Amino acid sequence: MSDAELRESLHRAGYIADEALATTLWLAGELQRPLLVEGDAGVGKTALAAALAKARGQRLVRLQCHEGLDLSQAAYEWNYGRQLLAIRLHETGAERLAETDLFARDYLLERPLLQAISSDAPCVLLIDEIDRADEAFEAFLLEVLADYQITVPELGTLQARHVPQVVLTSNATRELSDALRRRCLYHYLEYPTLAREIAIVRATLPQAESGLVEQAVAFVQRLRREDLGKTPGIAETLDWVRALHRLEFRALPDDPQALAGTLACLLKTREDRFQIGEDRIRQLIEGRRSVGVAEKAPQPS
Amino acid sequence: MNTTARPLEAIAGFAALLREHGLKVGVAEQQAMVRSALCLPLERCAQLGPAWRAIACHDARDWRRWPELFERYWHPQRVRGTTRVSGQTRPSRQLQQLVQSLHDSMGAGMPRGGPADSALQARAEADDAGLARAQGGASRTEALHDRSLSQWLPQDLAQLEQLAEQIARRLRKRLTRRWHDQAGGRRLDLRRTLRASLRTGGLPIHPVWRAPRRERPRLFMLVDVSRSMQTHAQLFLRIARAFVTTMDARVFVFHTRLAEVTPLLRSDSAAVQEKVNAVTAGFGGGTRIAASLADFHTVHARAQLTRRSRLWLLSDGFDADAPEGLAEQLARVRGRGARIDWFHPSELVPASQAMVAVQAQGGLVERFHRLNSLKDLAQVADHLR
Repeated sequence: MSDAELRESLHRAGYIADEALATTLWLAGELQRPLLVEGDAGVGKTALAAALAKARGQRLVRLQCHEGLDLSQAAYEWNYGRQLLAIRLHETGAERLAETDLFARDYLLERPLLQAISSDAPCVLLIDEIDRADEAFEAFLLEVLADYQITVPELGTLQARHVPQVVLTSNATRELSDALRRRCLYHYLEYPTLAREIAIVRATLPQAESGLVEQAVAFVQRLRREDLGKTPGIAETLDWVRALHRLEFRALPDDPQALAGTLACLLKTREDRFQIGEDRIRQLIEGRRSVGVAEKAPQPS
Repeated sequence: MNTTARPLEAIAGFAALLREHGLKVGVAEQQAMVRSALCLPLERCAQLGPAWRAIACHDARDWRRWPELFERYWHPQRVRGTTRVSGQTRPSRQLQQLVQSLHDSMGAGMPRGGPADSALQARAEADDAGLARAQGGASRTEALHDRSLSQWLPQDLAQLEQLAEQIARRLRKRLTRRWHDQAGGRRLDLRRTLRASLRTGGLPIHPVWRAPRRERPRLFMLVDVSRSMQTHAQLFLRIARAFVTTMDARVFVFHTRLAEVTPLLRSDSAAVQEKVNAVTAGFGGGTRIAASLADFHTVHARAQLTRRSRLWLLSDGFDADAPEGLAEQLARVRGRGARIDWFHPSELVPASQAMVAVQAQGGLVERFHRLNSLKDLAQVADHLR
């Protein structure tokens, strides 16, 4: 699959990727390298992995990282309950039970990393929010990402049957190690351009009025230029357009009062709600931009 | 020089340029760049830029710097204000020619890791050995300039951030007090071990261990934004911002009163300076360091000032309070165990009455550092603990 074909497949899977992102994804597959995706919350990092799996017709294996994530939750764990049960059963019977029998694959609980490594068919492995995991876990990941293998002391080294396409996402809450970064290709997801965001909303919510979508997306794009504590991402735009559509708006109303209730979808902190008052909403609807004390009318496009 | 004959040199030259600008591009990255050029069909060579960007960039800072560096090397004619140095022979920098010549010389169907890699390896080794560095005798690395920080330029900011990262790394993590008697080892976590034993019928098969806890010092920065510090305050705030990003420092500004500006510095907005000005607008003239310091440790950082804390004061030391006030307040902060470092823009330690009193008492300030250029900041790094 070429990069252009991959871009087409992603489009069909509901993800509008620009050419650079499609090339990077294609290259990650060609070079068999993991892809580290960074960007603000809500720009579509996790959705990218899900769309990639859908586009390639492969299974998505997801590992959600959090503080305290360890090997038993991420890679594998021995099924102690079953092992004890097997020991008790063999105590009552005549058959002897060897130690190697107890540490066989039957008693191994596969967690996401091992599932991806031992998958019979190629799959996409999403390691979500890697910055939330501890440094020790990051070090363990190096073996998995460099050689696509996991070492289980009782069984030996398990090599991947098919190299999974790995996508790591990070919100940069913690600085990742250089070792991990250098094993990955890197892509920084920016907020989308106006045209791309309109295309995304149209692809996700085809039932929404075209005029409403264009005006709403233009409003969000202007809102992003404000100095907000939490800038709204694509997910917020989709929520807002969905809400406006449910409220049966066909275009953005001129009256900011009518929008006040729905802005909860876009503005997520008290300071941001305070900062964007009714006057500012009116200006954003009308497309006026304030610079210092002077106001500028929108440029004709 | 035939331009198409040396595609590997062109790529190596580009990698060298990236390295000079702080991108971590080693032999592995260069090999990946060659491989990606071979993978891409000739008609799609325009996509080589995004492909190489994914390989060479490792964080958001590299990502933002890329377009300028890429344009400067491969399309110098599009970049304004560039100069050509005569007497240099350099390979062509036309991407399409480069891809064509790579395809021709090595063949797109060549097994991966073949001659392209070894040729590049050889080139990189030669490069490292200093054989191919005939560029007019100029050093590859730019010396840290000692231009005064009052005349700072936007390009200093990238260097500033790197220095802040270096200093943050130097402020080493220390064991918390409860771990002092077991400095080398780990400790059994009884509660989690018992909890884990439930799934094995109460047998503690897998003990859970606690790793020693090391924590970074907690950094507080107090920046003087009074009129006498006007020329330096803006860059001092930039320095403070770098430490907010790298080690979660808390930053305060003061002249007659004190205000915390950490949340403002977290976002990289052009309006930061305006906001800081707005915060300090009604403060009035003069500098009251002692009063501000009293406000700092009694109101703002009361519970956080411990042995693990570091207090950095960025000020010229001219205080309008009573001369002995500053020494008293510093002694109170020092009494909580926090270490104090003083950064001044002047050549010598300020000779104001308040500072004379501080120096006379001794032991209050760990060290006075001159901070008037990036070179000073780099030297300071050696003395901070």
